[in-house]
Amino acid sequence: MNYITGYYTTKFGELWDKSLFDLVEEAINGVLKSTNLERKKIDAVFFGNMLAGVLGNNLHSTSKLSEILDVNIPVFRTEAACASGGTAFNLAKTYLDANSNKNVLVIGAEKMTDYSPEEVITALSAAASGEEQEAGLTFSGLYAMMANFYLEKYHYTEKNLAYVSVKNHYHGTLNDKAHFRRKISIDDVLESAYVSYPLKVLDSSPISDGASAIIMSNNLNFIKKQDYSASVLASEIATDTISLKSRKNIDEILATKIVSDKAFKMAKIKRSDINVAELHDCFSIAEILAMEDLGFWKKGEGGQKIMEESTTYGNGGNLIVNTSGGLKASGHPVGATGIKQIGEIFLQLTGQANNRQVKNAKYGLAHNVGGSGGTAVVTILSS
Amino acid sequence: MVGIVSYGFYVPKYRIRTEEIANVWGKNPEDVKKSLLITEKAIAGVDEDSLTMAFESASSALSDVKVDRNKIKVVLFGSETHPYAVNPASTILAEFLGIEKNYLAYDTEFACKAATGAIISAQALIKSSYSDYALISGSDKGMGKTHDTLEYTASSGSVSLLLGKDDLILELLDFESFSSDTPDFWRREGIRYPSHGGRFSGKPSYFYHIEESSKSLLKKTGLKPEDFAYGVFHMPNGKFPVQVAKSLGFSFGQIKDSLTVNYLGNSYTASALMGLTAVLEKAKTGDLIFMCSYGSGAGSDSFVLKVTKNLDKRRKQFLKTVENKKYINYPTYLKFMEMI
Amino acid sequence: MISPVKIWRRQKDIRKILGKKGKIFLWTKIFTPGTGFKKYAPYPVVLVELENNEKVYGQLVDHEEKDLKIGKKLISVLRKVRTASVDGVIAYGIKFRPLK
Repeated sequence: MNYITGYYTTKFGELWDKSLFDLVEEAINGVLKSTNLERKKIDAVFFGNMLAGVLGNNLHSTSKLSEILDVNIPVFRTEAACASGGTAFNLAKTYLDANSNKNVLVIGAEKMTDYSPEEVITALSAAASGEEQEAGLTFSGLYAMMANFYLEKYHYTEKNLAYVSVKNHYHGTLNDKAHFRRKISIDDVLESAYVSYPLKVLDSSPISDGASAIIMSNNLNFIKKQDYSASVLASEIATDTISLKSRKNIDEILATKIVSDKAFKMAKIKRSDINVAELHDCFSIAEILAMEDLGFWKKGEGGQKIMEESTTYGNGGNLIVNTSGGLKASGHPVGATGIKQIGEIFLQLTGQANNRQVKNAKYGLAHNVGGSGGTAVVTILSS
Repeated sequence: MVGIVSYGFYVPKYRIRTEEIANVWGKNPEDVKKSLLITEKAIAGVDEDSLTMAFESASSALSDVKVDRNKIKVVLFGSETHPYAVNPASTILAEFLGIEKNYLAYDTEFACKAATGAIISAQALIKSSYSDYALISGSDKGMGKTHDTLEYTASSGSVSLLLGKDDLILELLDFESFSSDTPDFWRREGIRYPSHGGRFSGKPSYFYHIEESSKSLLKKTGLKPEDFAYGVFHMPNGKFPVQVAKSLGFSFGQIKDSLTVNYLGNSYTASALMGLTAVLEKAKTGDLIFMCSYGSGAGSDSFVLKVTKNLDKRRKQFLKTVENKKYINYPTYLKFMEMI
Repeated sequence: MISPVKIWRRQKDIRKILGKKGKIFLWTKIFTPGTGFKKYAPYPVVLVELENNEKVYGQLVDHEEKDLKIGKKLISVLRKVRTASVDGVIAYGIKFRPLK
């Protein structure tokens, strides 16, 4: 069994003073301190990052991390667009399954605010197919197409989508590391400018900087000495076509459906056992699709169910979603998100979530998606 | 007998009215309209250029004839707004049309007569049996400096002709060309907008060359203006073609159908050919058509064309097609012309 | 500068889908474009299902707002698809125009 014993995240936001590797260092120092692990006792490092090569001309991060940590251990970098973090965690867990008595460091990080919005939008569209890029489709354009299709098929309007952003912004006010910490209303969302019709600024996660790190271990001696630990019941990945046009159905992310079934089977628990979840809300529509594709809601009823606000903190619901503020309010430094999500579940299951603590949280789920659904990662933890 | 087998035209959807431009510069729109006889002109969208428009007109020309594209061994592209200063648009056009690779291609430039000059060269290549067919495209996204006369006249458009020796709709009975070194209108390398010599582009330029070329051809063929059903002259504005027609002895009635400039502007290398396209909508079997182009710099190509019975099956609807239009305002015009 | 080789390779495929009819399967309108598309913004992008069931992405041109709906009939046309740098090769490609 693998356990998470430590988690640290930098603040997410426009962190002008810090470079990518300043943020990585802060996250590493923070997580090592929280779990009392010396750097020499780390056996391997896993690093999730999407854009350092495209935007910063920085590759060979494996060697860069060796320099930062002053170690000569194996380092691996994973990239799966916005699922880079989740994929790094999955690779780390796979490493632990294959090697006993090891401690691994998993970091996700991204630096996006050094560049103009156009440069970032262009870089993010590298997650889409060549044809999609050539047609001038941005990343938001792809989700917008999915949103238009979903809204038309199930007879919903932009208002249904707005409930996701309102909920996540409220949660952001409860998370001191969130990029945005202000409440917004349904009208605020509906009045915001269009990014890609029908998705508006307030339907879309922001451009943020940040780094998050986790310590995971299968070394029982080490784990026994920890104040906090959560077991990793399942970590699964599924992939699907990069092109939206090649997907079987447009109103679902098949990779999520497949990986969800795999993860619940591995964890041997039911959907209704999950108390708290971090879902991939890169755009408001994405959270609604995720709730359906993960099996929490029936296909097509998401637009209606979100309006019931049962997944909002404090409403007494069985499943609270995105207490961190989600990608929308806590921010989306692409490579860091997957780790932050798992870390947030860790905080919830170990009673460390302060004023956003979901009572008696026993099982939690993190869901990380790459591109318009080309990669999906689901991690299930238990306290 | 060499002649035209089929033709195609493309006029972009957008129009800008003369008063829209005049009001920006504080000019009285009625004065401008009276002096140029242009009420509106056609403008290509921001993502269109001479090549994309030529593709439209050439596709149209090839759409109503069964031609083995391997027999089109001559592809000539005439423009003064070539996509590249160095790189042939003629091969880009040919490739998109599926014309493969054993053909002669080159781009031509002679201001507004780049395409008609190419007709003369191409017919010789057909006569000499080098090729059964030749594709000629005249296409321009005409530019004019702001606050200049050309701003009201320079427009976008394309006409393509498929030349051949069988199944003709127009027989090319005879032609003549007249050339000189007369700098009435020019554009230097690397400079965006053309410059012109003002009134110098009138009598010593447009009128002199058209008159000399036309008189020469009429003399050669022994024909007189009244022998023709239609006359088509290059149209830099709405006044010049009317005046030159009159001075040569053509009546207004003979040229009125060709005056596309009044509502489409001057599409440079496609100008005279657009006038011809308008006339072909009405021309009848046996009609003689006199066409004379003008290219600044300067020169003039004149042609005697005869309509055959095949025009009936390949006639293209022109007036109704160009009525499918959308008006744009001045800032949108500047955006489409990539001036802002 | 976009690679001229990439542009050249793509043109062969473009030729095959020029002048083809289809209908809108998915659509959106982009207001915040990446580099190379700023000149055209805002612009609609459609995923078209051609008559042979092939699906192709492209921008919509010469359109009215009411043309932006699933099922609208279109035809593919040749246009410039991205702003070339001043000294780069021009990328021509497929866009779609509504059929009356």
